Amino acid sequence: MIILANGKTNEVAQRTDAAGALWVRMDELPRATGWTMKPEGACLGEMCVPLPVNKRGEWIADADGWVWFCYSEFADMIGQKYVRDGDVWSLGSVPGVRRVGLENAIAPDFEVTERNGDTLRLSDLRGRKVVLFTWSSW
Amino acid sequence: MAQDSGGPEVVGKWFDRASPTFRCVVDPTHEISSLFNWVNVPSAAWIDEDGRIVRSNEGVYPARTTVRFGLGKVRMGDNAFARATRDWIERGADSEHIWSSEELAERLKPVDDDKRLAEATFKLALHFEAVADSDRAWRYFTEAQHLAPDNWNYQRQGWTHRGTLYASLKVLKRTNDLRKNSDKSYYDPMELPGEDYRRFTEPEWLWTPAIRRLKQLVRR
Repeated sequence: MIILANGKTNEVAQRTDAAGALWVRMDELPRATGWTMKPEGACLGEMCVPLPVNKRGEWIADADGWVWFCYSEFADMIGQKYVRDGDVWSLGSVPGVRRVGLENAIAPDFEVTERNGDTLRLSDLRGRKVVLFTWSSW
Repeated sequence: MAQDSGGPEVVGKWFDRASPTFRCVVDPTHEISSLFNWVNVPSAAWIDEDGRIVRSNEGVYPARTTVRFGLGKVRMGDNAFARATRDWIERGADSEHIWSSEELAERLKPVDDDKRLAEATFKLALHFEAVADSDRAWRYFTEAQHLAPDNWNYQRQGWTHRGTLYASLKVLKRTNDLRKNSDKSYYDPMELPGEDYRRFTEPEWLWTPAIRRLKQLVRR
């Protein structure tokens, strides 16, 4: 199964239930979606979203010797849109992250590949003025 | 930052021609535009030393530019953004061109559920394009375009899937339709001193003066 998220293509173990929900193995959750499960809830960077108490049992389940998280139900709760075609799931941006970043005008952090193959992270440029400029060939 | 599903192979020659002295990155999945709510290129943000966005615009040509277009040419942009950028770099928070966080929030284009769904759909199209599943890619490009009709990035990148000639003709047709039938513009005004703002850029064909003269005669 492939999950497209945050500009990355992640191949992960597959599990869908009868309702067609997207289940992600807990150990693959950070790589596939960016979220990490912590005692306070699901966390993405500095933002943490508590899981509803009445949903924990439904959204976290053991199967095939692994712990799985029902990501599509969680995405519905936080308003993250997704589209599925066969074994490929595409996740849109997390609304909370965009809102948090732009409400206080802090630029959302990102990681991209430079032309020479190096990785560039926006937060590495703190302390300097940055002019971020996009263009295209089309 | 080259925002192009063709990746380094397609954009490399443009970087080479520019002889850049700045960091050059490739963004084949349009992540940056998703994060900054941009729907067109070229776009730019000024980010200060504390990581705050102090200005964000679309249609930011670095200079007045003329591009050959078939038998004609197209003039795009002006020098206003470059002048303002230099002013901000030199004067920082004292520059008259920076925006407050409230102003930034007001000016950013709103993102509703359809646009969020369009984004996920567009990324799915890019994936299928990358794995050479052209039928699926085209289907999802089209869906994303319907969900977010004002997003020129989705329109133009999607049309380019059918070739640059197809994409160019679609751009001409759509801009022509919008020019005649709506009050929309290709870029929003930057509202900078000296800006030469036009709602759409029009090709200046070799025969344009003759057509203009013909129209005048018809009107008489």
